[in-house]
Amino acid sequence: MSGASHTPGTPSLDAPEPPTLADIGRAAGSLADRAVFTPLVESPLLNDRLGCRVLAKAEVLQRTGSFKFRGAFNRLSKLNEDERRMGVVAYSSGNHAQGVAAAARIVGTSATIFMPKDAPATKVLNTRRHGAEVRFYDRATENREEMAEALARERGGVVVRPYEDPDVIAGQGTVGLEIASQARRMGIHLDAVLVPCGGGGLSAGTALAIAGASPETRVYSVEPQGFDDMARSLAADARKRNAGGGQSMCDALLMPEPGALTFAVARGRLAGGLAVGDAATRRAMVTAFADLNLVVEPSGAVALAAVLAEAIETSGRTLVVVLTGGNVDPETFSEVLASEEWPPA
Amino acid sequence: MTTETAARLPEQTDVKAAAATLEGHAITTALVESQFLNERAGARVLVKAESLQRSGSFKYRGAFNRLSRLDAAARRRGVVAFPRGNHVFGVAAAARDLGIPATIVMANDDPSWKISVCRAYQAEMVLFERKHEDWAELNRRLEALGVRVADERGATIIRPHDDAEVTAGHGTVGLDIVAQARALDAHLDAVLVPCARGGLTAGVALALSAASPDTEIFAVEPVGFDDTARSLAAGALLSNEDGAQSICDGLLSPSQGELNFALNRRLVTGGLVVPDSETLKAMKVAFSDLKLVAEPSGAIGLGAILSGIFDARGKTVCVICSGGNVDSATFRSALETGP
Repeated sequence: MSGASHTPGTPSLDAPEPPTLADIGRAAGSLADRAVFTPLVESPLLNDRLGCRVLAKAEVLQRTGSFKFRGAFNRLSKLNEDERRMGVVAYSSGNHAQGVAAAARIVGTSATIFMPKDAPATKVLNTRRHGAEVRFYDRATENREEMAEALARERGGVVVRPYEDPDVIAGQGTVGLEIASQARRMGIHLDAVLVPCGGGGLSAGTALAIAGASPETRVYSVEPQGFDDMARSLAADARKRNAGGGQSMCDALLMPEPGALTFAVARGRLAGGLAVGDAATRRAMVTAFADLNLVVEPSGAVALAAVLAEAIETSGRTLVVVLTGGNVDPETFSEVLASEEWPPA
Repeated sequence: MTTETAARLPEQTDVKAAAATLEGHAITTALVESQFLNERAGARVLVKAESLQRSGSFKYRGAFNRLSRLDAAARRRGVVAFPRGNHVFGVAAAARDLGIPATIVMANDDPSWKISVCRAYQAEMVLFERKHEDWAELNRRLEALGVRVADERGATIIRPHDDAEVTAGHGTVGLDIVAQARALDAHLDAVLVPCARGGLTAGVALALSAASPDTEIFAVEPVGFDDTARSLAAGALLSNEDGAQSICDGLLSPSQGELNFALNRRLVTGGLVVPDSETLKAMKVAFSDLKLVAEPSGAIGLGAILSGIFDARGKTVCVICSGGNVDSATFRSALETGP
C-alpha cells in the first residue's frame, strides 16, 4: 500500500502488506534499464587463504555507490503525477539518501532528505550533487521519522522510508534474484549468502528472493557488535532493541531495532544473524582493497568480515558476501589502510 | 631446449579463437560508468575494469591463451616468466589454473609483496641479487637468467610482448568492450589504452579494427616513457632514454615490441603522455566515483581525460583500467592528493 502513512513499530489497520517474490520479479523488470546488474567478484588467492570460495556481490558498483538505488527507484517509479509534483521526503544515514536523490532526478520529482549531522561528508556532498535538498538531524536526540512525516504533512508528498516499505524491500530483493541467477549460470551451488543488516530491508528482500530462487541456500544477516538487534530478534522470534551507548564505525548499520515489516519478512527466512567487531570490519576493507580491487565502506564490509572472523562455519563452502556500498571518505579509507596489515595475512 | 612461438602478427581469427579459449576462465569484466565521472569529464566515460580480472590485471588473458596452446609435453616441462609488472602474476595464475609448473625470475629486492603473490600462485621463484644496474643492464640480466633457467628445464619462456597468442588474448578486452558498449547503446568515439610494450594496445586495436572501425585507439604513456607516442608520430620504432622515473611501474619499458609496433603504427591514432601527478588524481577519482582500486598504470587513461590531455568533451570514450595491483602506501598517497 504505497503512500499510506504508517508509524514504524505500531500495529495498524493500514500496515503495508509484505512484498512477495512476484513483487521482486516485477522490481527487477522495472530496474532492468536503470540499475547495474553487478558482478560476483572473486580472488583465487583469497579463497586459498580462507579455505572456502567467496563470491563478493559488488553492490559498490551499483548506481550511487550502494544497493540503495534499487529500492529507492522501485518505490519512486510508482509515484503518480500528483505525488511527483509534490516531491518526496526521506531520512537516511547516507546511502538511501543518494539512492532517493538519484531516483528522484530520473523520475522527475524533487527530494528533501534528513541526514544525521555526523554523516560522512562524502554522503552529504553526493546527495546534494544528485540534486536533493539536505536537512540535518541529531542521531542521539531527534526522531528523524517524525521530522520527515511532519514535513510531508506540511507540504504534501510521500515519505520514502529506507526499509519499512514493501516496494523498497522488493527493490533490494533484486540483489537476491541476481545472485541466484548468477550462481545458476556459473553452475555452482551456493551454501550461504551473508548480508549486512541495518534496518533489515536488504536482508528481508534477499531472504525472500533466495527462498524462492535458491531454496537450498541459507541467508544470514550480519551486524556490528553492539547493534545486533536483528540477530537477537531472530533468536527470540520477537523484535528486540539494542541497549543504547554502543559504538561502531559502521555508520549505516546503527539502527536500534529491525523494522516491523522487515522483521515480518525476515523471520522464518533468515537462517540466523551474525555480529562482527570493527577490527574484523577494518581487515575486511583491506582485504577487499588488496584481493578484490574494490573500495568498500565499513558498513559494506561486515559480511566479508564475518567470513574473515569465521562467525559461521565456512570451510570448503561456497558463500556470497554482499558488499553493500563503497561510499567512504578518503580520509577514513586511508586511515584504515594505514593502520592495518598489508598485504592481509 | 626452449620452444617459442613463431614471431608472427596476430590476426582477427586469433583474437576470436582466444575468446573461445578464455570462455569460462577469464572474466568478462564490468564496463563501469558513473554519473559523477561523466559530469567531471563532460563526456560519457566507460571504464573497462580489468582490475577485476583474474590475478588483478588483464595480463591473465594473454597468459592463459598462450599457455593453453602448449602441448602436453611442453606443459610438463613448464614455463618461465620475468617482469615487467603484472605479466608475472598473469602467467603464475594461468599456469596454476592449467596445472603447468611456473618459474618466475625476479630481482630479490623487488617489492616483497610481489614475490609473495607469485609464491601464493605456487610459482617457483628464482631470485637474483640486483647490483646498481640501469634499466637496460637489468633487463639484459633478467633475460640472460630467464633463458638459462628455461634451457635447464626445457621450459617455454612466456614473454609479455611480440607473441601472437599473448597479444590475441589481450585483444579479447576489445571484443568485450565492443559488445558491452553496444548493449548500452553507446557509440564509442575512442578507446584509451595504457601502453608499455604495446601488447594490450595492439590486441585491442586489432579487435576494434574489425568490430568497430570508426573508433579511434590511443596509447597512453607516462612522461619519460613516451616512446610509443613518438614512434607513432615518427613512423619509426623509437626508444626511451634511461634515467626516467614514474609511479606507473607497469609502463616502464624502453620501447614497444617490434611486432606490436607493426600493428600499432597501422591501427593506433596517436599517443597521449600523462604526468604522474595526473595519474595520482585519477586514482583518487576511480576511488570516489567508481569504487575501483586502480594501480597507477591502470588509472593513467582516466588521467589523460580528467587533465584534458585528451579532450573527451561531448564524446563517448572507453578507458581501460588495466589493473589494480597497487601497494597500500602508493594508494594512500593518491587519496591524499587534492580534491
